[in-house]
Amino acid sequence: MFPVTEDPILSVRNLKKHYPITEGILSRQVGAAKAVDGISFDIAEGETLGLVGESGCGKSTAASSIIRLEEATDGEVIFNGGGRGGRTRNEDGTHPNDVTKFDDGELKAFRRDAQMIFQDPSSSLDPRMTVGSSVAELLLVHGMTDKERRREIVEDLLERVGLEADYYDRYPHEFSGGQKQRIALARALVLNPEFIVADEPVSALDVSIRAEILSLLNDIQEEFGLSMLFISHDMSVVREVCDRVAVMYLGEIVEIGDTDEVFRNPQHPYTEALLSAIPRPDPSAQRENIELKGTVPSPTNPPSGCRFHTRCHMVIQSDEYDLEQERWRAVLTFRDRVRSGEIDPESVREALAFDADDLSNVDNQTVKDELRTEFDLAEELSDPEAESVLQDALDALAEGRIEDANDRLSAFTTPCEEEEPQETDHGNGHLSACLRNKPETEHGAPLADD
Amino acid sequence: MATDRQSFDEIDWGQIDEESEREISPNFIIVAIGTALMGAVWAFDYFFVTGTWDAAIGMDFGNQYTPTFEVIGWGYDVTQLDWLFAFSLVLFGAYMILPLYQNPRMTKYYWRDMKRNRPAMASLGWLLFIFVIGVIGPAIIQAPTVDLMTKYQPPMFLEINNVYPINCVGEVAGGDCHGSLEHPLGTTGDGKDIFRIIVYGMQISMKIGFIATLFVVTIGSIVGTVAAYAGGLVDEVLMRWVDIQQSFPTFILYLLILYIYGASLFLFIVLFSLFSWEGTARYVRSNALAKTEEEYIKAVQLSGASTYRVIRSHIMPNSASSIVTDITLLIPSFILFEAQFAFLGLGDSTIPSWGVLIAQGRSDLAFAPWITLIPGLFLFFTILAFNFLGDALLDALNPEADAEAEQ
Ligand code: SF4
Repeated sequence: MFPVTEDPILSVRNLKKHYPITEGILSRQVGAAKAVDGISFDIAEGETLGLVGESGCGKSTAASSIIRLEEATDGEVIFNGGGRGGRTRNEDGTHPNDVTKFDDGELKAFRRDAQMIFQDPSSSLDPRMTVGSSVAELLLVHGMTDKERRREIVEDLLERVGLEADYYDRYPHEFSGGQKQRIALARALVLNPEFIVADEPVSALDVSIRAEILSLLNDIQEEFGLSMLFISHDMSVVREVCDRVAVMYLGEIVEIGDTDEVFRNPQHPYTEALLSAIPRPDPSAQRENIELKGTVPSPTNPPSGCRFHTRCHMVIQSDEYDLEQERWRAVLTFRDRVRSGEIDPESVREALAFDADDLSNVDNQTVKDELRTEFDLAEELSDPEAESVLQDALDALAEGRIEDANDRLSAFTTPCEEEEPQETDHGNGHLSACLRNKPETEHGAPLADD
Repeated sequence: MATDRQSFDEIDWGQIDEESEREISPNFIIVAIGTALMGAVWAFDYFFVTGTWDAAIGMDFGNQYTPTFEVIGWGYDVTQLDWLFAFSLVLFGAYMILPLYQNPRMTKYYWRDMKRNRPAMASLGWLLFIFVIGVIGPAIIQAPTVDLMTKYQPPMFLEINNVYPINCVGEVAGGDCHGSLEHPLGTTGDGKDIFRIIVYGMQISMKIGFIATLFVVTIGSIVGTVAAYAGGLVDEVLMRWVDIQQSFPTFILYLLILYIYGASLFLFIVLFSLFSWEGTARYVRSNALAKTEEEYIKAVQLSGASTYRVIRSHIMPNSASSIVTDITLLIPSFILFEAQFAFLGLGDSTIPSWGVLIAQGRSDLAFAPWITLIPGLFLFFTILAFNFLGDALLDALNPEADAEAEQ
């Protein structure tokens, strides 16, 4: 699609952003929230890359680290726009175009070439400044002292984004959300950048005006040949705007590829789950609705192995057992909850008892049944071996021996929590990181047949 | 769509110098000129007129003393407090009043909100009245003087038994002395004209309000902003200092200084305002921290603007409204303090302030209640007006809340 010889306008390499967690007066670092933990991708000139994931997956942090609103912890962001193209690495291995290492002067020049649109138009404009001055301020900051000229340029730009020139002197509170987002777009454009980060630009807007703003964004992008990083949690928006899409989960990119390809043939269970949430015109189509249970775990202490294993519906079974996939998922979830101490048999018993003071009439069997129902564990697991382990664990739980239950449940393991999945190349720049994708493993076929 | 207008994509940034991002605003020019003028008058006063240290610290130790404007035949002497007052007025004009004119849309928007609030409008009228009379009055009306011959004159339309005044200025009828236009609000037990004291008292109240505000806002905003932006150890030290100062017994320090050097209004205002900025500093700090998380601040940072610009053009204007509200509630407490100290005899009893007048009338309540009552009413209404106005401003100056409500 794009000439291969040309450098991508933006290349992110192994970018990390960790927030230190400190304790005490001396601010001793006791850990780190790994909001972004080593992501890499390229954006070609004129291309739009979508970065999707649930909230809390680190996509917004990634955006602000790339545009250097925050300092990245590690990694490179190489920006080849603004006449910087064609430079090669320095002798010490650093890149002259690495945004994370720009000094003040270079950074200010970079600001002219890369801008950002924020999520909430009602808070992205200074409420005490006329919208015209808000937009014109960028020109002033970059040295255009001629007031008349600034005004002329901004008025022209306001018209181009579908507003009127005499809106210049109005204040943000006089506009609707959609109009404010147009103004925010004007502000992002006024320095004539080559690259724009759009952080959920339509998710705070009314559904009825989303399409307008998206098509404006598309038009402007085409007219000025902009490249864009488009952050969103909404797969259907991504499908409309993006050429390529990168799916992010807990600080990592789990799948990246051309939008068509990823939507048609998702390789990662997480992508699959996100896709299944899009409302489809034809509900009878083959893809079943996969419910993503729970929320994204804390990035302070991410799950071992594949970070998605605590929620993955395709999580791989260990060789010893042979359960339906759904049960296997349920068993693992149950195990994790017992391990984290979230299950308290006493409170289950209390909830079941009619009379809170007299718990004796709730026998162990009732408690066990309740737990089974709650965790979707079926009355009896189809695999006898697994069933006996589960029985033991439930018995222990009902009798209040949580430690024993925990021990017993440790018999259930999955390769997904032990092995970190490597990237698998599906050709044409379509990569994914799931153990099931590795052809040489015995973990079963890839998700979907090509 | 061919236009001959400038368009953003035709700018040749190579042609534009990277420098003067700061423009000198007209507001700043006004402050600079005002300050320069004052500096000139002050130098004149200092070097050519009084030339004694007494005058320089604003306290008269009984040396020879010449009013500043003697040369032009105007017997008005400019004291230390007047300088501070004038400076705060210049700042107030340049950064509070002028912006209202510079941003007519915003002003209109607030005005619309404020207008609906009747008590606030009445309060604003009252305070404007006090302010204008207080600033101009003392310059044209002579200071109240002791004149025992005319003591205990009743205000207009009131009368007093003729045994109290030595010499009734108004008409005497049926053994009662009636009030006259000569002393529209009557006189005190030592014959000072109450109307003049009230006018002079207005100025004193305004001085207390403005000068205290000047100190509190300046120190509070600087400390708060520095703490928020420097962070780390600086933040820690500044905020602990604020904690310490907040628990500092200012009153006792005031008493101590009072016993050593004697009372003066200057001492009162400076001391109490130097020990009252903690709340503002705390507020400005938390506000600045909260604002840096706002998307519009991020957007400004992304534009490549300097931290100075972010603070000056965005954080400060956005904090200003809340500081103003804060201050309208702080000022009345200062005015009330002064009155209380005067009443307790802990203030400078020579100044014509309302509090002093209230204290003076204390012993004459039985037969001349107006001496206490009139300044009492002025004090009461002024404080009430500040409170009403503060509440109204709190409601009006919050476009963000409005914007959210509209959606
Ligand atoms: S590696 Fe395992 S847990 Fe991770 S996505 Fe693949 S199947 Fe799911």
